[in-house]
Amino acid sequence: MNRIKAFFRHDNIGLLFALPAVVYMLVFVGYPIVHNIILGFQDVDVMNFLRGQKHFIGFGNYVQLFHDEVFFKSVANTFVFTVSCLVFQFLIGFALALFFNREFSIARPVRGILMMPWMIPMTVTALMFKFMFSTKVGVVNNILTGLGIVPENIEWLTDQGIAMIPVIITNIWIGIPFNMILISTGLTSIPGELYESASIDGAGRFQQFTRITLPLMRSTIESILVLGFIYTFKVYDLVYVMTSGGPVNSTQLMSTYSYKLSFDNFLYSKGSAVANALLVILLLVGVVYVRITSRGEEAYE
Amino acid sequence: MKKLLGILLIVCLLTGIAAAGAFAEGASGDVEIWYYWETEGHQKALSHIIEEFNASQSAIKVSAKYVPFADFKKQLSIGAAADALPDLVILDNPDHAAYAAMGVFADITGKFDVSTYYPGPVNSCTLDGKLYGVPFGSNDLVLFYNEDMLAAAGCKVPTTWDELLETAKACSSDKVSGFAHSSLQNEEGTFNFLTWVWSAGATAYEMNSEGGIKALTQVKKMVDEGAMTQEAINWTQGDTMNQFISGNLAMMINGTWQIPTMRSEVPDLKWNVAPIPQDKVQASGLGGENYAVIAGGNEEAAIEFLKYATSKDVCLYMMNAMGYISSDSTIAEGQFEGDPVYQVFVDEMKYANARGPLPTWPQISDAISLAFNEVMTGTDPVAAAEKAQATIDSILK
Repeated sequence: MNRIKAFFRHDNIGLLFALPAVVYMLVFVGYPIVHNIILGFQDVDVMNFLRGQKHFIGFGNYVQLFHDEVFFKSVANTFVFTVSCLVFQFLIGFALALFFNREFSIARPVRGILMMPWMIPMTVTALMFKFMFSTKVGVVNNILTGLGIVPENIEWLTDQGIAMIPVIITNIWIGIPFNMILISTGLTSIPGELYESASIDGAGRFQQFTRITLPLMRSTIESILVLGFIYTFKVYDLVYVMTSGGPVNSTQLMSTYSYKLSFDNFLYSKGSAVANALLVILLLVGVVYVRITSRGEEAYE
Repeated sequence: MKKLLGILLIVCLLTGIAAAGAFAEGASGDVEIWYYWETEGHQKALSHIIEEFNASQSAIKVSAKYVPFADFKKQLSIGAAADALPDLVILDNPDHAAYAAMGVFADITGKFDVSTYYPGPVNSCTLDGKLYGVPFGSNDLVLFYNEDMLAAAGCKVPTTWDELLETAKACSSDKVSGFAHSSLQNEEGTFNFLTWVWSAGATAYEMNSEGGIKALTQVKKMVDEGAMTQEAINWTQGDTMNQFISGNLAMMINGTWQIPTMRSEVPDLKWNVAPIPQDKVQASGLGGENYAVIAGGNEEAAIEFLKYATSKDVCLYMMNAMGYISSDSTIAEGQFEGDPVYQVFVDEMKYANARGPLPTWPQISDAISLAFNEVMTGTDPVAAAEKAQATIDSILK
């Protein structure tokens, strides 16, 4: 009893307060990840999912993945998807944030409206864009052919070479508000005096942007890009609703491929292996992020 | 106050005894059913028979939960791993063998009489000689055509692949596609694609054969020449039907279950059905659902409900509301007397091929629908056939 009292006498009581969060993390985050990693090293499929021996086969699933062209395609697709989304989301979001940072009369309400894409449920957005990009009745083709920009309807979602484009466009549309609002917040934290003194010293708008805005926004930009990368890299619902990874795996991402293997083909272990590969890539990105941010803090000190 | 308590106590005791009595009699308790029919009429019909059943007795209380088709297999797998399954499911019959092999379904051999059922549907519930379910009802695929559009193009109903190609081309315009069937890269797509393979004289496991390549080549030709719309890659069978009744499609391959909806939604549209145009042999796909009792659930009560649901009058009500053909031959005979449209489906049943039953069928199915999706978007049929065959062989080895 005394020991327990002694334990809580000092700052240790803080541990107690952290306990619920730790338990929550262990149960709802830790367990699934550990389970998934174990599953990735087993040979679980339709025959031994519930009963029968689950054998450990080492890296067997990963070796199989290395001979699986669809897996490589899904990895490549995921990077193409993530990088294209990130670049455009960020640039457009940055431009809009700069624009709305200038206080004009309707800046605030319009900025509010621009948050809409972020608030609409993902599946609703996906269905909406699926209709808009449909070949014969879609509004996109109607406008493009109506204005004579393209001679005939484009097979947006059913052509292997093109299908990725509408999916990326949709995700950019969804991601712009997220980038815009975070950059806006970062911009307001830069003191106005800096710009004033800069303009007295004769710095032009462009110089102000490259010499004041960008350096002071560095940590914000880094956070946005890394968070954006992680969010985009594991997008699933959007692609599943718009194309289900098709046609012929041309929009198959690692997330959708993992789902397909596990729940369509009942190859649970192989599906887990794909999910684990995705996890490893994201962990690497996370490590890079932590190193960048800690280096930044040291520099300030 | 004391009196009131006393009465309460007695009531409690009595109900306790009543409950115990029911328990001793046999089946009792709650039965939860999962199903995936998206059509409102189908959902209402199921609710109706459940209400009737619940009202007819007091020991068993049945309830139903809708799980979307695209999520159904995932929910079943997760439920099986987490031990959170319903007591009864109504599932697509090609998936039955996989779950039976997994051990999700209860062995009901000897507990249910299927001797009067058609052998195809019963086979789909059977694994290693044991019965793991009861056929709910069957359906098959035929050619639907818009009579006005065919007449306007001056065509008669196509019966061969070449005629189908010509007719579809003749009916195509800016807004109207000549022909389509659901071409998704999943089981729904495979169901429709296989009609080509079977008609060319090959089996589902022989994609790299003369027949398999011929089927792939023909579908590619249909798409390349604009007779079949490539958009069907993203169409479910329900989407395809909607395009047809909206007048965007002159001909489609689709199933029995669309008829009740089509008759009520567009009573004025002039459409009819015919056997699927054929190459070597007449062929259609056998579809349908099975009831399966979940192992470890409330098995006794679920079987009680099954006996009710498959009794003649209830079954007939359900089949007619669903647009299905009963799997019980004693009920199917005479089910559609005087209905020429349904008669085409009943006749086509003789040529309807089943998928599986095989626990690894979902992987085979994936290879088949992938091959057809490949040729529809430009791949060479021979290359697609070789790839599909390599996948199928590696699964069957």
